[in-house]
Amino acid sequence: MSFQALNVAASSLRAQQKAIDVVSHNISNVNTPGYSRQTPNIVTATPESIGGLDFGRGINLQSIGRSVDPLITDSQRENTSQFQFWNQVSTGLTTIENSFGSLDNTGLAASVDDFFLSWQQLSNNPQDTAQKYNVRNKSESLIIQLSGMQTQLADGQTKLDQSINLQLDNANLKIDEIAALTKQITAHEAGKQGQTSIANDLRDQRDQAVRDLAKIIPIQSVNTQDGGLLIQTKGGDLLTQDGVARHLTRNNVSSTGYQGIVIASTNQQVQGLEFGGTLGGTIKLRDEYYQGYMDTLDSFASNLAFATNQIQSNASSATRLSKVQSGQGATDPTLALNDVTQNTAFASQVQAGSFNIHVYNTAGDPLLPISKTAINIAASSTMNDVATALNAVVGISATVDSAGRLNIDPGTNTVAFADDTSNFLAAYEINSFFHGSTAGNITLSQTVLDDVTTLGTGYIDPATSLLQLGDSRAAINIMNLQDTALSVDGSTAASLHERISSLSSRYGLDVGLANQQKSYREAESISLTQQREAISGVNVDEELISMMKFQRAYEASAKIITTNNQMLDSLMGILR
Amino acid sequence: MRITNNQIYENLMSGINKQLKIKNDSNASISSGTRFQRPAQAGSDYKTSLDLRHTQSQIQGSLESLTVAESRLSASQTLLNDMSNVLKRAQTLAVQQSSGQIGPQEHAAAVSEVTHLLDQVANSANQQWQGEFLFSGTAVNTQPFAVDALGVYQYQGSDQDRTVSVSTRQSINSNVRGDEAAFAQAFSSLTNFQTALVNNDQASIANAISELTTAGNSVIDLTSNVGGQIKAIQSYTQSYEDMKFSIDKRLNEHEAADIPALVAAMQQADTALQASYSQIANIKNLSLVNFLR
Repeated sequence: MSFQALNVAASSLRAQQKAIDVVSHNISNVNTPGYSRQTPNIVTATPESIGGLDFGRGINLQSIGRSVDPLITDSQRENTSQFQFWNQVSTGLTTIENSFGSLDNTGLAASVDDFFLSWQQLSNNPQDTAQKYNVRNKSESLIIQLSGMQTQLADGQTKLDQSINLQLDNANLKIDEIAALTKQITAHEAGKQGQTSIANDLRDQRDQAVRDLAKIIPIQSVNTQDGGLLIQTKGGDLLTQDGVARHLTRNNVSSTGYQGIVIASTNQQVQGLEFGGTLGGTIKLRDEYYQGYMDTLDSFASNLAFATNQIQSNASSATRLSKVQSGQGATDPTLALNDVTQNTAFASQVQAGSFNIHVYNTAGDPLLPISKTAINIAASSTMNDVATALNAVVGISATVDSAGRLNIDPGTNTVAFADDTSNFLAAYEINSFFHGSTAGNITLSQTVLDDVTTLGTGYIDPATSLLQLGDSRAAINIMNLQDTALSVDGSTAASLHERISSLSSRYGLDVGLANQQKSYREAESISLTQQREAISGVNVDEELISMMKFQRAYEASAKIITTNNQMLDSLMGILR
Repeated sequence: MRITNNQIYENLMSGINKQLKIKNDSNASISSGTRFQRPAQAGSDYKTSLDLRHTQSQIQGSLESLTVAESRLSASQTLLNDMSNVLKRAQTLAVQQSSGQIGPQEHAAAVSEVTHLLDQVANSANQQWQGEFLFSGTAVNTQPFAVDALGVYQYQGSDQDRTVSVSTRQSINSNVRGDEAAFAQAFSSLTNFQTALVNNDQASIANAISELTTAGNSVIDLTSNVGGQIKAIQSYTQSYEDMKFSIDKRLNEHEAADIPALVAAMQQADTALQASYSQIANIKNLSLVNFLR
């Protein structure tokens, strides 16, 4: 009988000792991310039947449980993915904040206001060269602002695109880690079907790795009973199953102009990456936010350039033009000027109409007997046709160079342009103010850069070919563009001021949305972390109490052994 | 619900971060004096600010244009007044010279004064302001009046008015053109008077009185018109000044930070932070570890 008690006490000593090991493990992992509290599962040993009586045989440590709620784990994974998505968007938007200015310096909006104010000031004194310099200065400032913003956004886009490679490397590491852990778990738990969570720490590590992967890309997962795990993207592309990893890589330039993301082994385009994670946020920033802002800037530049050139190409100043070269060339001078294949942004704006060219002699007086000639532009007119028509004008010659540009050489004479109803002059940048059509390539025309006095402020009198120096109608017309709804590029018609103020507003609202979503996800993350902590977290007080409980049981069991030992001593004493 | 030590610390950290953010935002607002500074802080409000600043810029442009127009017209008015004075003196002289007691010698002597008066009118009519001829319309580099082969003053300027753009919807004339009838009348009446004196033509001298009176009245009418234009411009200017004040006020109301509210919020944040820090120190002591020996 005494021997059995010793065995029972010994089983207790072993079990309590192991239970304290579990407590020690819990306390040591109190701050380990992703760790789930473990609980020793102590059960009564199978009793022994002797003489019709059941005698207990002590206890066994049957298993070590893992406190985890799969629903919270899934919610955390999903929320983490969304938080990282909006955090990435918010961070990415904040990095370009300086581009949009502040109330101290409203940046592009102030430059646009200054640009139009300078035209108004020039219209007050159109013959004043200083005001023309002011217009050029303010225009250059506007162009610098525009191209600066565009460059910053384009650089940002490139950096975002490059960061995708790094994120894919990290995602592949996580996919490998998950696959390796799944193999270990499966091997560890093999033959123990029906007893889940045996490989507690490995499962914790795998859950953490899955959460880390979800931070990068949006995923969905399915657990299988044998410890296996299937992970796929939100679009259904398999990333890992049964310990097999499928890497992500980049290939095939997509419609966005950037390399797409594919499964390395199959070259299959991965779907649904834009729904979450830092990768989704990066793609959204690159393709929607940054690209959207750049498109708006391009649209602004396009409308500004064409509308200003439409007026300026018909305007004139006291300084007439000597040699004239079109800022844009026709890719094929034998094709219609408005053919879409012409490599000129505003080619499609050319329509049937005409423009007048006025020729002046060396003294600057209208050439006699005819100083004005109308050049007709038909819907099918080509650059060669225009050159031919100009060659018929007395006092000038015209050629088309190898780049398809129109060159007008008046020799010692000078020329002026007016009354263009065909848009040819503006589309091909003849006597234009701006050169280029996007925020990235817009500049002042070479003519204005070379000699600011050529800046036109008024219109030639069609009857006399003369220009009055105090004529400010062209300058006023350009100034009036600021509140005129424009749409040369198919965008929704809006004034230039409206386009820029709306861009700032849109950016602000985008940041607001990103911050709001980020805050919402952060709050949910805190809530879910609390919920997980409530179930899986280690409470040191609780563990210490458990420790004391197991310690006391251990001491009691030891006391039983001591007592039994004394009993055996007593028994041995009788025998001696 | 089970509570772990980590939960308590994380809750406190979350609260501390919130309070620090309040302090940071409040400090930024107080130091700048504005509710927001960047579009990221208030998208729609920032647009309103840009719109208001755009209006400010337009008002500035309008005021500059009105100033230019007023200056140009004031200079014109001064010269017209000079012309009017010259014509008054010519009228007086004509009345004197029309008397039957005035003989050829006195007429000859008066010619030099009339010639001088005619030069004075021509000088006024050809006057430049800031390097531009005032009365030649948009032909600012062309002298408005020159004597032709017949000795008649002819207008050489343009028939186009100089306009300044007050706003995108409103342009106003900022000049008096020399092809107004008053100029031709002034020149012809003085020239005729001069001729009558040279010819000692008593009847023509008598006629010159009415011609000079008519010309003088025309110049006065024109001067009055210019005065009316200047008055209108001054009225516009006042209106734009009022608008400017109103927009400045609106901008200030729109952007200005509510300092008392911010100070109160910072005070609350300070109190919350102090309580949180104190609590962190308390929690450290409230662990079973501290009671186990």
